[in-house]
Amino acid sequence: MESIIRRRAAAYVCRSCTRQSQRKLLQQQQQQQRQQRTYSSAAPRPDIYDVVCVGGGPAGLSLLAALRSNPVTSHLRIALVEAQDLSKTKSWALPPTQFSNRCSSLTPSSALFLDKMGAWAHLDRARVQPYHEMQVWDGVTDARIEFDWARDAITPAGARIGTHQQIIAYMTENLNLTSGLLKRLDQLGGVAVFDSAKVEHISFGAESETEDGPDLREWPVVHLAGGAQLSARLLVGADGANSPVRAFAGIEARGWDYGRHGVVATLELEGHADSWENQTKVAYQRFLPTGPVAMLPMPGNHATLVWSTTPENAALLKSLSPTDFIAMVNAAFRLSVTDLAFMHSPACTSQADEYAWRLGHTSSPSNHKALPQPATAVQPGTVASFPLKMRHADTYIGERVALVGDAAHTIHPLAGQGLNQGQGDVQSLVRTIEFAVGHGQDLGVRMSLEPYLAERYAANHVLLGVCDKIHKLYSVENGPLVGVRSLGLSAVNGLGGLKRFIMGRAAGGVGV
Amino acid sequence: MRPSLRQTPTLLRRAAAARNACLATTTTIEASAPATRWQSSSSNNTTPPHNTPPQPHPNSSSVNAAEISHFNALAATWWDAHGSSRALHLMNPLRHDFINACRSSSPTSSSTTTAPPSDPKLRYLDIGCGGGIFAESATRLPTTLSVTAVDPSTTILAVARAHARKDPALTPQKLQYINASIETLPQDQFDVVSLFEVIEHVDQPADFLDRAEAFVKPGGWLVLSTIARTWTSWFTTNLVAEDIVGIVPKGTHDWYKYINEHEMRAHFEGRSVRRLGITFLGFSGWCRCIGMVLGLYDIGRNSNGGCWMAFITHYYQSTKAYTYRAARYATLT
Ligand SMILES: Cc1cc2nc3c(=O)[nH]c(=O)nc-3n(C[C@H](O)[C@H](O)[C@H](O)COP(=O)(O)OP(=O)(O)OC[C@H]3O[C@@H](n4cnc5c(N)ncnc54)[C@H](O)[C@@H]3O)c2cc1C
Ligand SMILES: C[S@@+](CC[C@H](N)C(=O)[O-])C[C@H]1O[C@@H](n2cnc3c(N)ncnc32)[C@H](O)[C@@H]1O
Repeated sequence: MESIIRRRAAAYVCRSCTRQSQRKLLQQQQQQQRQQRTYSSAAPRPDIYDVVCVGGGPAGLSLLAALRSNPVTSHLRIALVEAQDLSKTKSWALPPTQFSNRCSSLTPSSALFLDKMGAWAHLDRARVQPYHEMQVWDGVTDARIEFDWARDAITPAGARIGTHQQIIAYMTENLNLTSGLLKRLDQLGGVAVFDSAKVEHISFGAESETEDGPDLREWPVVHLAGGAQLSARLLVGADGANSPVRAFAGIEARGWDYGRHGVVATLELEGHADSWENQTKVAYQRFLPTGPVAMLPMPGNHATLVWSTTPENAALLKSLSPTDFIAMVNAAFRLSVTDLAFMHSPACTSQADEYAWRLGHTSSPSNHKALPQPATAVQPGTVASFPLKMRHADTYIGERVALVGDAAHTIHPLAGQGLNQGQGDVQSLVRTIEFAVGHGQDLGVRMSLEPYLAERYAANHVLLGVCDKIHKLYSVENGPLVGVRSLGLSAVNGLGGLKRFIMGRAAGGVGV
Repeated sequence: MRPSLRQTPTLLRRAAAARNACLATTTTIEASAPATRWQSSSSNNTTPPHNTPPQPHPNSSSVNAAEISHFNALAATWWDAHGSSRALHLMNPLRHDFINACRSSSPTSSSTTTAPPSDPKLRYLDIGCGGGIFAESATRLPTTLSVTAVDPSTTILAVARAHARKDPALTPQKLQYINASIETLPQDQFDVVSLFEVIEHVDQPADFLDRAEAFVKPGGWLVLSTIARTWTSWFTTNLVAEDIVGIVPKGTHDWYKYINEHEMRAHFEGRSVRRLGITFLGFSGWCRCIGMVLGLYDIGRNSNGGCWMAFITHYYQSTKAYTYRAARYATLT
């Protein structure tokens, strides 16, 4: 795929077509420089781009596909720098019955945005699972809130793709998304791709010695391992939570670690795959004192697990046999908090036996949709865990710098909003760039970027805060807060208006 | 009462009295604006500058030395988007919207079905370009062939030139700065001649406009913007900006030099200019500029194919008052 992108880019971005020619060019330039004995920098003359995006994750790739597919911005000179080998991402494929463990829920507004840039059609749709209903309950008090689009029907403004109305979200493997975005970029062409290329450091440009030659002292220059140098009118940090671009811009990211890990796994559920055909699906989430556990539907009889828990519990879960692991997962949705605590303790020798025995002594709710289908198997090699944290950058913009996605904010995964926030950022940044280009502004200067910051910062901050508060509220097992929160969920369930507001948020209808 | 362009004006005292009367109720808008200083070259109703040495400008009668020295003082912070020229930065995108609205309204570009598939690129002349806020932005547009930008102040032009070097897209071939006044500029013709926030700073605006018109290609556009002489503009640009907040040096704005739309309209009535556009600007807070092109009006026809003229009036006011005014204006015309 690189080769295709590079070839397409060739007409436009001649110097960076291939690494080979680049190396040659570099040598030539260095030679020239030695001969000329210039007093400026000993480095080769940098390549000048309008946008250099560091990071080819969901946020970075969406940004580039959106810029390339927009007639106002499609003439911009664009480069992508990604540490990983993108050809592997693009050719990613799994058999129809296997699913990657990194999945995200895409809100209808994210999906609509991806559709507008022409990327949605490149996702493998057989691997995308929409859901129409959410069941969320408190593990301590059992207070419930049900989100059912059919009953509480609201359709967020504009959140429609074809006939897919009343969908809360689409579950997708992150790789299905990034691979689809790369295919779309391939089709669009015109991006100079530097993959398997780590950013070595970022500096500022130089002033030319001639009197009316360019003065690039305020332009960031991205130095790649291997020697390439890219000057950026706008340097976009889509480089994830440990963003080197953010560090270059001197922007602080504040927040805290939750002392929790997110355990993920791909599950197989009871019942034959065919029996799931044409069924609307439900997302389940139960708040346990250690953190929320969620089971999110994937195609057929598959589901993806996201279980936020203590690092010790996470380590235990990862060490269990598949049978014991499945018993723990089923217990997490069905047994009491006390039962669960015991099953995590060293006193418990077989989780599977313990679960079978304890389940017999637990009453189950009458509504068959109140609990997820029991899990029967876990796909080998899919149990993994990630530390959870909350971070928010002090700002998203600097002179010739913008941050998007996890580089700007990292959120608790309990609302499944991280990736969607990134899509919201990208959408806003593209609008901002489009306005600047359409009005002859220098798209990289802070003044041009201000609308992006104004549009996104407060919205993201509210969402980060809400998820953080929810996490804290539910991390308590007893005391006055427990009463408050059971009141909380029951009250929310009873209040149609508020619930619709929350559902609108979850579906990205209110600009989140 | 509509004072005509060359009519000797101005009962300054009456205006001052009116201003005082209005001080108590600064929210009153426009009412009947005081008389103008639209006048011929001889009379001079600005007080001469006190401590600033006048800059000599040979054969440039429109250049007011006191005005130039005020702008020289602004030069250093011209490109500080949060500095004294912030309003210019904020309103700049609206100028492009306005020019687009003008150009797409002229019959030559809209009604000719046999027009070539793509318009040839445009040549701009930006008179009184200052630090180059508009000139740079016009240069970056893909529809632009070249921009010639002139200003009588060498100090400001040095800032403009230094700033243009920061963007390699602004090559000397595309963007040329000339230290000149309209009187010293070699004759040439352009598709768009712009005069943004300049007319209120020149002496003899009527003569000045006549000269500017000569630089417009037949069928091209002369586009200008200025601050309307209203109570709100006095309050915001003079009292607040200069006296209270001090974001621009005292003396930057001479409120009596502001020109109102009907004066402009009267000036061009029956001349080779055939069209007038009105835009209202409103500022919401200190970070957003909103605006609206209210319409383009035929104000006279001329068979000898003159240029088009468009005019932007700024009403510095809150979003609410702006919306109200825009609505009121739309129903009146
Ligand atoms: C357990 C878990 C569950 C989640 N569930 C959901 C969910 O259900 N819904 C949801 O919306 N979100 C979810 N998220 C969050 C989501 O995964 C992230 O928000 C999303 O991946 C962020 O995308 P991004 O493009 O901003 O950053 P990333 O995906 O982190 O991409 C950054 C890219 O930059 C590259 N890079 C970094 N440094 C360099 C360098 N120096 N040089 C070159 N390249 C570099 C990296 O290789 C990477 O490809 C979840 C997160 C976790 C941990
Ligand atoms: C308020 S600034 C506007 C600058 C620029 N047009 C913009 O809007 O960004 C006014 C400018 O007009 C220039 N000026 C003053 N008198 C002039 C005259 N007689 N002819 C041409 N320019 C003049 C000043 O030097 C100053 O740069």
